[in-house]
Amino acid sequence: MFKSTDSSVAKLAFAMGMWLLSVVAVAQTKIGGTVKSGDGSPIPGANVVVKGTTIGTVSGADGTYSITLRQNNAILVFSSIGFQSKEVAVGNNSTVDVTLTEDVSNLQEVVVTGLASSIKRSNLANAVATISAKELMGTTQIQTVDNAFYGKLAGVNMNTNGGAPGGGVSIQLRGISSLVGASQPLYIIDGVYANNSVNRSGRASVTGAGAETQDDASNRISDINPNDIENVEVLKGPSAAAIYGTRANAGVIIITTKRGSAGKTKVSFAQDYGMATPQRLFGVDNWTEAKINTFFAAARRPIELERFRAANGQTWDYEKYFYGNTAPLSNTRLGISGGNDKTKFFISGALTDEKGIIRRTGFKRYSLRANIDHKLTNDITLSVGSNYINTISDRGFTGNQNNSGASIGYNIAYVPNYYNLFADESGRYPDNPYFAENPVAVTDRGINNTNVNRFIQSFNLTANLYKSEKALLKLVGQGGFDYTQGTTFVYLPEDLQYQRAQGNPGDVIWGKTENVNTNLQAALVYNWNIGKLNLTSQAGAVRLNFREDRLLNRSRGLAGGQTNLRQGTVQEIFDQRFQSITDVGAFVQQEANWDDKIIATAGVRWDKSTLIGDANKFWAFPKASLAINLANFDFIRSSSLSSVFSQIKPRVAYGETAGVPGFGTTFTPLNSANIGGLLGSVVTTAAGNAAIEPERAGELEFGLDLGLFNNRIQLEATYYDKQTRSNIQNLQLSPAVGISTIPTNLAQLQNRGVELSLGATIVQKEKFRWSSRVLWWKNDILLTKLGIPAYNLGAFGVTLGTFLYQEGFSPTTIVGTRPARDANDTPLNTDKVTTGAFVLGDNQPDFQMSWNNEINFLKNFDFNMLWHWKKGGDNINLTEFLWDGGGTSPDWDDDDNNDGVPNGRQRGLAPHNGADRWVQDATYLRLREAALYYTVPTSSLNKWFNNKISRVKVGFSCQNPLTFTKYRGYDPETSTFGLQAVASGVDIAPYPTQRRFFGHLVVEF
Amino acid sequence: MKNINSVFVGLLLLMSSCNFFTLDTPNDPNNPSLGSVSQNASRTQVQNLVTGLESRHRDYLFTVTALFGTLGRELWYLNASDPRWQTDWLGMNGRQATPNMFGYLNTYQQPYFAIRQALTVIDAVNNTNTFTTEEKNAISGFSKTLMAYQYLIVAMGQYENGIRIDVKDVQNPGPFLPLAESLTQIKRILDEGNTELGAGGTGNFPLRLTTGFTGNGFGTIAALRQMNRAIAARLAVYRQDWQGALDAVNASFYSATGSLEAGPAHTYGAPPDAFNPLFFVRNAAVSTLLVVHPSVINDTIAGDARVRAKFFRRTAPVSVTSDGTPLAGQYQDNRYAANTSEIKFFRNEELVLIAAEANAQLNKTPEAVAAINRIRTAAGIGNYTGATTKEALIDEILFQRRYSLWGEPWGHRWVDLRRYDRLNATNVDVSLDRGTIFKQLARPQAEVNWDAYVQTR
Repeated sequence: MFKSTDSSVAKLAFAMGMWLLSVVAVAQTKIGGTVKSGDGSPIPGANVVVKGTTIGTVSGADGTYSITLRQNNAILVFSSIGFQSKEVAVGNNSTVDVTLTEDVSNLQEVVVTGLASSIKRSNLANAVATISAKELMGTTQIQTVDNAFYGKLAGVNMNTNGGAPGGGVSIQLRGISSLVGASQPLYIIDGVYANNSVNRSGRASVTGAGAETQDDASNRISDINPNDIENVEVLKGPSAAAIYGTRANAGVIIITTKRGSAGKTKVSFAQDYGMATPQRLFGVDNWTEAKINTFFAAARRPIELERFRAANGQTWDYEKYFYGNTAPLSNTRLGISGGNDKTKFFISGALTDEKGIIRRTGFKRYSLRANIDHKLTNDITLSVGSNYINTISDRGFTGNQNNSGASIGYNIAYVPNYYNLFADESGRYPDNPYFAENPVAVTDRGINNTNVNRFIQSFNLTANLYKSEKALLKLVGQGGFDYTQGTTFVYLPEDLQYQRAQGNPGDVIWGKTENVNTNLQAALVYNWNIGKLNLTSQAGAVRLNFREDRLLNRSRGLAGGQTNLRQGTVQEIFDQRFQSITDVGAFVQQEANWDDKIIATAGVRWDKSTLIGDANKFWAFPKASLAINLANFDFIRSSSLSSVFSQIKPRVAYGETAGVPGFGTTFTPLNSANIGGLLGSVVTTAAGNAAIEPERAGELEFGLDLGLFNNRIQLEATYYDKQTRSNIQNLQLSPAVGISTIPTNLAQLQNRGVELSLGATIVQKEKFRWSSRVLWWKNDILLTKLGIPAYNLGAFGVTLGTFLYQEGFSPTTIVGTRPARDANDTPLNTDKVTTGAFVLGDNQPDFQMSWNNEINFLKNFDFNMLWHWKKGGDNINLTEFLWDGGGTSPDWDDDDNNDGVPNGRQRGLAPHNGADRWVQDATYLRLREAALYYTVPTSSLNKWFNNKISRVKVGFSCQNPLTFTKYRGYDPETSTFGLQAVASGVDIAPYPTQRRFFGHLVVEF
Repeated sequence: MKNINSVFVGLLLLMSSCNFFTLDTPNDPNNPSLGSVSQNASRTQVQNLVTGLESRHRDYLFTVTALFGTLGRELWYLNASDPRWQTDWLGMNGRQATPNMFGYLNTYQQPYFAIRQALTVIDAVNNTNTFTTEEKNAISGFSKTLMAYQYLIVAMGQYENGIRIDVKDVQNPGPFLPLAESLTQIKRILDEGNTELGAGGTGNFPLRLTTGFTGNGFGTIAALRQMNRAIAARLAVYRQDWQGALDAVNASFYSATGSLEAGPAHTYGAPPDAFNPLFFVRNAAVSTLLVVHPSVINDTIAGDARVRAKFFRRTAPVSVTSDGTPLAGQYQDNRYAANTSEIKFFRNEELVLIAAEANAQLNKTPEAVAAINRIRTAAGIGNYTGATTKEALIDEILFQRRYSLWGEPWGHRWVDLRRYDRLNATNVDVSLDRGTIFKQLARPQAEVNWDAYVQTR
């Protein structure tokens, strides 16, 4: 019964198919030709589409194409990335050759909109930023991907944690979206949800600094080889990122890696050698007997005077010894790309070996990648990407510490320069009488190492399921995994000064962390044309899984020179944590494009996650957008405006996204406690909330894109208003109930900002070309609702500066103690703060601006320069607090106001004991990147190397060579607590940041 | 076409299978849940909760010893890494004990964590069938005893601010009761504990306790009841209930002739346990150390054995300069042999002193002098030869308490001077640190915030 029904259906289908074919087989003409670029060279891979249909083809390696037309009066549309598209009416010709002109603007580039579709930039309704490989790494060699975004994105506030090798940069897109999370964007690499977590190393416990936020561990995004990146798309806010649902509150960064192209196999070899030097050194104050008498307690003075006299004028500049070193940098890369019409491949290998300016620190990365695209049939394409990475970083001992003296900067703040801490001839280090540890010994003997092995594997499948003249149904499938295994090793040997003073000298923590991210997604995309209206519908589902398991073991009381955990007196399991999260989502989206004049999109995503209280409840995130290309309308085209404006595009977009609660927010556990050899279960002090909801953000974005004089000048202006609600706040319970906090969805935040981008090709002549772009952006954050009484939290309390959580203020507002009256005895405003502190500053900047220049002169020379100006934004400078405490501030002994009291005791307002002393303006102007390259002329190359070498480029570049700032710390960009949304900008003896200088050689065969 | 079909069908099947869209509500992979002990808890679970209570019971120790000791100028906690341990705690340069004062919240919060733990134990044991009635009484009595001890710590820190006693409902804690009322409530809890221990049967405590109890003779229910009475004696003295104090002393583990060191202890050990927080390696070249306040050394009677036993003289002092004022400590704590040594939280010596004080207040002079002499003899400074007026005896007792109970996890000096209204510059030496003498700590900002929040929610 079943079989016969089946066969009759099959017969019917066959018959219908044949009829369709017969109908269609009426008017068939074959058209062919060549697609060339302006200089006569063929363009492989150019798209040739019959306008208003889905019939199309792609030009071959030699630029030729062949297409079968089924209608009369067809118009062919020719397009290729980097060129302006062209429409040609076929008429009666059977050969249509076409020459495409280069596109100086980026309007032809293709940008991702939905999870499975893309759109031309000229039709885009959102302010999506794209950074090409040239912009990203074309100027200089930047160590990690996150560091390469500086100055290239409007609307982002970036802050590096410090200069330790292996990166660690906080990227906040359009302000902050969470008060408890880190507000870091989602990273997607070739469709794989990449791991950008910071894995615990335990250094903060060995040095006594505190909890894991002060580990100063590197961020796993530093594993990625930035030279593999083809382009980066940044979806800055919910209006663009809504389709990513629950993880997209802080934006999405979509990275696409390089792929092969059809044609001759190209081999590219590059070698960079460089050096890094510290950005700024301050020098230390000199001492005199008078200063010793002023600074030290009476009981201490005799010893200090004795030491000073014994030194006999000799001084040791510890700042220079530790930080003032030149570190060698090396970067070697080999890339092979090639293929034919069916298969394309890109293989790359890279070796990065960069030492740090502090002895025995550095960063090494080995990366191997193979990207393969293969056409299984004409309708099915499979892309596979495999990446193996091994990174080894040694980050040293800097930052905060408590009692152990194991932080170089913290330690040397207290050591006067007349005391010798270096080892004697027998190799023994003297005890440091000024602090708990000898910093020279820590640098020479301590180890802080992280070794990571990582595999990222991506699969992308595109299959055309149904094709007709006007419609195309395809299936887009994506899957992948990101496996990271990291081993951390923090070690202080037993013969160090502080260790000898402990009951169990010698401290080692070995950690193993494993992260596995997997994703699987499938979508159906249906593209159909009705006259001039092009519609794209898509629907799909995605399932994500994130797993992180970690185990750290600690051993103290170590046998001489041993690092094995079993060679210790006190062995403990320092930390073990399992974490597993699953998200499931479904989405639909409808795009409508009327003749490239009006483009509208609407969509919804539904999401659920095991992190949310009710794991099986779907949350809906809608989105909608509208863009109008006024310049394409006839009434503009035929007016006088068309001679000036090539693009006038007002646009509006709205979208909602969510941020998920952290793992464990739903649990109220009994934690373990060991006492007297027995195991205890103690009630948690942080209750969970089994009904916790995700944090939701809704963003409304207005913009206007203008292109003038054939897109020679481009202006993009955007205004956005991002409102987040249900922000998770840890409600502080009465401390008397024995439970400190319970998470609640009480707060609401608002981010409003403006992004402006003005780019122009200022000069375009044969021997001189200059294009320039200015970006300007600002963001204002406001806590619109807190739901609980105002409080201070973060950093080290009101006496040193902390952050205010109060309605009507930005949560990045820094408050602290301060004299109630100023120098003229005028009472100072309380600024309506209700937590008993004064407003001292704000960590968010007033605005930021960047200026990028690309100059090409004498045909073969390229000069690039990128400036970045951050105005406003305050730091809590506790490094100066340490220096003053130790008498080593460069100006400690000076007396600026000539009142007999040294500067080191007279910071801020009288009586000089408030937090106002440490809150300092971190405005800076920085030359981020500058480079000069020479490309050897092809004619000379051909002559010398007999056509074997196709390109040779040499040059010099530098990163952060110049900084102008009034800030009195090593770098106005700093964060001792790592990636933080709110409590950023706290400066405690960080690893100083560097200037990097490189010489480059690129050879292509 | 075949390939496409199979791919299509395969993916469609995958998507449409129920598993793709279903999520399981996760269980905590790292810990048992609090909910698992609220009903029908097993013996093992309650054992773990009781051990947890012992653990929480000692968490107050470092901050209370260091802070209350600093307030009474028994000691300084010199810390070169963070000067706020000096500047804020000593009230230098006009600083006050504000609700945001540095590092004092632990002295308020840790006891309440222990109280929450005790409430959880009592709750668990009352809602399960795996214990006999006697066993339930013993466990509940023990928990209430430790609970009262912890409440008293908060009461001594907050003093006239008053404290919350009813904290059962996490979102609706009870009001702040004034000092006298709080102490009465603490007495009630202690007496309930005493009654329950009395109805707890005989023999050993039904669950395992650490050597802090069992190794010091407090493994039996009867001995734990004596411990309860000892705490009651301390409380009675604060309530100025002198006869009550004597009665409690007599029902406690007081021994007229036995060791002054006898008493229950907090135990410490190597990880996963915690190290003794008051242990510092003798004479180590460090920049952070608990040091004996110089006035304690200066005021001592020559030959006092307590000074020789408890204080260790360093070769080089530890000195720290904060806010321009240098502080140096030549002597450090000598009481603990290793970082795994236990710390007694109530000793017989204090019971002798309570007996002395209560007798003196009740004008029972011979008994008071006998008790004072017991202490003085043990300290090797000879019998008391001063006046025997109540005033003089109290002076002498306060002096002896200063050395007998130096650096105990209670901050006795501060509490004692304050209850006799002697917390002033005559009795507390602030000449070296030029700080302020704080009478009490402020009610924490978190409490103030909570009360404000309750108004608006």
